[in-house]
Amino acid sequence: MSNTVVSIDNLVKRYGENVAVDHFSLNIEEGEILGLLGPNGSGKTTTINCLLSLLTFDKGDIKIWGKEMSPDAYDIKSQIGVVMQNVAVIETLNVYENVDFFCGLYIKDKATRKQYVEEALEFTGLTEFKKQKPKKLSGGLLRRLNIACGIAHKPKLVIFDEPTVAVDPQSRNAILEGIKKMNKAGATIIYTSHYMEEVEELCSRVVIMDHGKNIANGTTNELKSSLISREKIRIGLPDKSPEILAGLKEINHVYKVKEDGDDVVIKCDGGEHNLVHVLSYLTDNNVPFGRVTTELPTLNDVFLEITGKELRD
Amino acid sequence: MFIRIFTYSLKNLSRKYWLVGWNFIFPLVLATAFFLGFGNLIKEDPDTFQTLEVGYVNELDESAGFDQVLEELSEENDEGTTVLNLHTYSSKDDAVKAMNNGDIKGFYLESEDGVETIIISNGYDSTIMNEIVREYDNYTDVITQIAKDHPEKVSDAIDAITSENSFISEYNFGNENSQYIQYFYALLAMTSLFSSWISTAILDGMCANMSEMGKRVECAPTSKFMSITASLLAGVLLQIVSNIIVVIYIQYILGINLGVPMGTMILLCTIGSALGISTGTLMGSVIRNQRLLVTVPLFFTMICSFFSGLMWGQIKQIIQYNCPIINKINPAALLTNAMYVRSTYGATAEFHQDVLIMCGMIVGCIIVASIFLRRRKYVSL
Repeated sequence: MSNTVVSIDNLVKRYGENVAVDHFSLNIEEGEILGLLGPNGSGKTTTINCLLSLLTFDKGDIKIWGKEMSPDAYDIKSQIGVVMQNVAVIETLNVYENVDFFCGLYIKDKATRKQYVEEALEFTGLTEFKKQKPKKLSGGLLRRLNIACGIAHKPKLVIFDEPTVAVDPQSRNAILEGIKKMNKAGATIIYTSHYMEEVEELCSRVVIMDHGKNIANGTTNELKSSLISREKIRIGLPDKSPEILAGLKEINHVYKVKEDGDDVVIKCDGGEHNLVHVLSYLTDNNVPFGRVTTELPTLNDVFLEITGKELRD
Repeated sequence: MFIRIFTYSLKNLSRKYWLVGWNFIFPLVLATAFFLGFGNLIKEDPDTFQTLEVGYVNELDESAGFDQVLEELSEENDEGTTVLNLHTYSSKDDAVKAMNNGDIKGFYLESEDGVETIIISNGYDSTIMNEIVREYDNYTDVITQIAKDHPEKVSDAIDAITSENSFISEYNFGNENSQYIQYFYALLAMTSLFSSWISTAILDGMCANMSEMGKRVECAPTSKFMSITASLLAGVLLQIVSNIIVVIYIQYILGINLGVPMGTMILLCTIGSALGISTGTLMGSVIRNQRLLVTVPLFFTMICSFFSGLMWGQIKQIIQYNCPIINKINPAALLTNAMYVRSTYGATAEFHQDVLIMCGMIVGCIIVASIFLRRRKYVSL
């Protein structure tokens, strides 16, 4: 039996001549935390809006739990939680009333709703602030309220659209821990973020979008291992003569040597003991050097290599 | 679900400072300003009806019934007006003396020759006094004629005249209002139309193409139609309360008699509130720009109020003379006119026509807005 929660097949969305989503396909399995990455304007939010049946689209199929998604698919909608990119709460209602109002759009039973609201407040650490108006909350607490409003009804599929923007580290950690807990409790998560480290920490699978297309898909390790650059060695090198740089490039598995301020960055495409080989070369040739560091590739390197731009561009 | 959304909408709206300020406090401030400006003029305006001080001398042993008519007119009518304050004199000389002293405006002398009206000068007061006698004579003639031709139907005729064609219901003696009262009617119309802000604010939070909040609401498994209806009804209720507070303030605290029975006033306030909400809903259904959602209702309210005579009382008459259709499509003018007509002439055809046009506008705005708001999916957000 298939456990596919979301199935997007060949989705196309155009705004006039511009193609926002270009034959995008994606399956999300139950229990996954899927990271949806892409630079600004890559089509992430448009895809999510199509998924939520807020936007019309030109072509393709969207199914959630095997059923066609539509604005009137209340049985599907009742199981989805959405945490918007921008804080969407009612300024005049206090924290408790906000969560109660939005939870009430999903849960009719008063006693159940009360319990869910209390749990959502506890989950997001807002219990002690429940009488306060949103205006009185700090940016981090406001984000937490935004999350509480989106998840209070205990959805099975939760979409987080950059929930940690402008959040202090403490709140950010609390949010990430909360998402992990929700996932452990059985919720499937779609998570978009600009913060690579969050995605690396949180997501079991990553999809990279650019120009509306699904250009990479896999676990973080799979994506990293697909990179040419497997290891990056940074050495403080006072003497950067062309002969020395050329000699470094001759070392086995070194494919790029680049000056970077006082340092030289050496990129290797695999192999073992690359650092030992580099240091041996420098010692054998009496080349003085300073601090030495090595870096394994990050998701940001994956992103940079695939899209040609930084995620925060 | 409906009641929850309605309740939360009431809470939300009633806690918005701008709404409380513009829809509740501003009309009271403006009413006070009008009162300070026109209060004395209204009270001293010759057009404002004041109870007539009238004398009565009966030279017959027994009155033919005219004294009963005068007694009826000396009692307060349904609209809170007393037409006559009757002073009975034993002789014509006493009555003349009282009239010359200024105690009474004139007096009726009932004798063998019938009822005679004696006045000190012509004017509005004497017209009313003469009108009372003319009507009395008409009815007396009718009954005399019936008694002659169909004596068996006399009692029916008397019943018909006394129950259906009383002097008070036939003539709205007590509702000749000052022209300055119209400023207060225009103020109430403006207050009603301010509710157009309420509906644009409501729609802003309910439609995915307007705000993040709208997205959140439309992602929920709740009927969009129901959510919007519940919130708009909360808006109508708040506006009715606001209007009634303004009416009570003007009528009972400032002491300006608006001349419209309270029941009718509540009906007109309800219609006015629904009119403001429905026009706002129509605006909110077509406008997507956040700033325009505030400025368009404000501009609309102010333009409509100006043409209904809020800033310059004569404008409505000028429009009526040059382009009367504007007065028939301007919601503020319709509301103002309905109040004026009801207070001056009673529930006439024109009053009913105004009410019908306003109801038609409400239905029309809601239908057109529904066409725009029925979308559940958007081309862009």
